[in-house]
Amino acid sequence: MDVLPGIDPRAPLLEVSDLHVEFRTQYGVAKAINGANFWLSAGETLAILGESGCGKSVTAQAIMGILDTPPGYVTQGQIKYRGVDLLKLSENERRKVRANRIAMIFQDALSALNPVYTVGFQLGEVFRKHRGMSRSAAKQRAIELLDQVKIPAARTRVDDYPHQFSGGMRQRVMIAMALALDPEVLIADEPTTALDVTVQAQIMGLLADLQRERNMGLILITHDMGVVADVADRISVMYAGRVVEEAPVYDIYSRPAHPYTRALLESIPRLDMKGQQLSVIRGLPPVLTDVPKGCAFNPRCAYARDACRQDPAPPVYQVSQQPHRTARCHFFREVIGE
Amino acid sequence: MSDVVLEAKGLVKHFPITQGIVFKSKVGAVRAVDGVDLHLRRGETLGVVGESGCGKSTLAKLLVGLETPTSGSINVRGEDMVRLKGAALRRARRNIQMVLQDPYTSLNPRMTVGDIIGEPFQIHPEVVPKNGRQRAVQDLLDTVGLNPDHINRYPHQFSGGQRQRIGIARALALKPEIIVCDEPVSALDVSIQAQVINLLERLQNEFGLSYIFIAHDLSVVRHISDRVAVMYLGKVIETGHDHAIYDQPTHPYTQALLSAVPVPDPRLRGHRDQIVLEGDVPSPANPPSGCRFRTRCWKATQLCAEQEPLLQVRERSPHPSACHYAEIRDVVHRR
Ligand SMILES: Nc1ncnc2c1ncn2[C@@H]1O[C@H](COP(=O)(O)OP(=O)(O)OP(=O)(O)O)[C@@H](O)[C@H]1O
Ligand SMILES: Nc1ncnc2c1ncn2[C@@H]1O[C@H](COP(=O)(O)OP(=O)(O)O)[C@@H](O)[C@H]1O
Ligand code: SF4
Ligand code: SF4
Ligand SMILES: [Mg+2]
Ligand SMILES: [Mg+2]
Repeated sequence: MDVLPGIDPRAPLLEVSDLHVEFRTQYGVAKAINGANFWLSAGETLAILGESGCGKSVTAQAIMGILDTPPGYVTQGQIKYRGVDLLKLSENERRKVRANRIAMIFQDALSALNPVYTVGFQLGEVFRKHRGMSRSAAKQRAIELLDQVKIPAARTRVDDYPHQFSGGMRQRVMIAMALALDPEVLIADEPTTALDVTVQAQIMGLLADLQRERNMGLILITHDMGVVADVADRISVMYAGRVVEEAPVYDIYSRPAHPYTRALLESIPRLDMKGQQLSVIRGLPPVLTDVPKGCAFNPRCAYARDACRQDPAPPVYQVSQQPHRTARCHFFREVIGE
Repeated sequence: MSDVVLEAKGLVKHFPITQGIVFKSKVGAVRAVDGVDLHLRRGETLGVVGESGCGKSTLAKLLVGLETPTSGSINVRGEDMVRLKGAALRRARRNIQMVLQDPYTSLNPRMTVGDIIGEPFQIHPEVVPKNGRQRAVQDLLDTVGLNPDHINRYPHQFSGGQRQRIGIARALALKPEIIVCDEPVSALDVSIQAQVINLLERLQNEFGLSYIFIAHDLSVVRHISDRVAVMYLGKVIETGHDHAIYDQPTHPYTQALLSAVPVPDPRLRGHRDQIVLEGDVPSPANPPSGCRFRTRCWKATQLCAEQEPLLQVRERSPHPSACHYAEIRDVVHRR
């Protein structure tokens, strides 16, 4: 594996600070990410939680260096991997990081696989391209990997085409492909959203096992607060392109500090009890070409007052030091106190 | 039981599998719905859950008459929908309407909202006289929480949640007693999902509606349903009040399904019974003999391969369960 210049093994595994991404379209500039901050340690699972359009996938694409450019541009901020700012690397160096250090799996496994090649060929290709392996050695590695992601009868299934696999098995193949070169960071963007719950449970279990074995950092992007409660160590809640709250999983569920987090938790029905009427968050998330002044959540917020409607937007307040918690709300003390 | 508004008996839908292009010959059948009995009372919500491909949408289409059953009967208010014809059938159909999953594709993009919601009045002109239709559509918009002045807008000018409201308004147009909802909130974000669920509940109270509510999200179904039916490979395998299904499930499949659903409370992590199912759902064209779940069931015996378990109350199952060895096991709460 090529060595990246400037790598500091003691620096945080991944650290995103003040990230800004915008899309320059014919309708105007959409500010998709407006200052996102988070970090990830080895062996840790960070969940990025938020509703559709809040910027989860764009954040992941910016980290991977696969933003759709144009129209998308990173305009500000840093993405540091072991101390190296990925945004300052050449495209060639970036590609190497992408293959060897940071990998990603997507929601839609079927469209990510090529229908005209066998699963084994596509997996083997990774080893031929990046490790210079022979055809037969690469196929052998492909079988081992399929076995590791618990595809039954891997030796015979390796010659199947993607359409011969079920949705859950295709997602396993994607995981195998992402893990082929032993990355230290895995970003999983809604990896189970398209799957049935029993299959989701299998896949989440598999991801947790692989992460433990490899001491990998996992960024799990999802909108499912059940999945997050089950697997995350820490959570970053995103709203309109910002991380509005960041906290360890137990703290955020028992004492949310941001009104949006709190409202989300109150609006989901529960499996384990017959609830009362659901409380709702009124209105809709903002259009990104026209984000409200001040706090972007203010038109929907039950706590909002005049200060919230004025620029600048709430800064990243430190909610507590031990554990480390932050919230972008002027009135977090009131919210968490209740 | 005079308050039963809908009753289906022995409902079957087989889709033929054919081979050949010019001379098609039938080589088998997808048994999408394979013998379903259900009933629905006035003002009640029956939830239907199950994994992808188990036959939920096919069941919904049979109930509203979008598919013709291979066999079985569907009674709406005492009239047999399968045998009714012509004007009588059209009149009876008014009583049972449908709301679909995808608010992005289920509305015609070239029609205004007014035309979409008012379309049922053209098919059933006797319901509202022509000169009253605009007013009726505006009332419907108001009922579902949309601005009546937006009657001339197009679907793309509305958000997902608002489009789902349009779909609901359209279903309400003919003042039905029964609405079949097929995954009505699955495509929506949680904050919007709660708005639509609350709307459905309010309308139910206001108009005394009965719902068949189909979804794969078991938490949403628990919230909205009075009773629940769990489907596997075209059959209902367990049914009962929400409390029976969620707190005292007796069928191994229901137990496995529920145990796989994450609960949004990290304190329960590792403290719930976990059942991880192996393998995939078998093909509905070739279901296993005896109990259809036996290929994935950890309790299966020889008996399960030989004898199909009927959906009935059993010694250890106070509510109907299609398992020879039905027995209560709580997989939802803290152990
Ligand atoms: N028109 C059709 N022709 C042939 N097979 C069909 C047809 N419609 C449905 N099927 C099959 O019948 C079975 C049940 O399908 P159905 O759409 O009812 O499932 P579902 O429970 O609604 O699934 P999902 O949760 O994915 O919506 C599936 O195997 C499906 O492929
Ligand atoms: N290629 C693109 N061109 C223009 N806008 C985009 C593009 N990709 C994403 N966006 C916008 O960026 C915002 C964030 O999107 P995304 O990160 O995909 O949200 P999500 O949180 O659902 O993953 C959305 O408003 C989306 O419309
Ligand atoms: S800053 Fe104001 S509007 Fe924003 S979340 Fe806090 S209270 Fe609500
Ligand atoms: S009848 Fe047998 S195979 Fe079917 S669910 Fe019961 S124990 Fe399992
Ligand atoms: Mg996304
Ligand atoms: Mg369906």
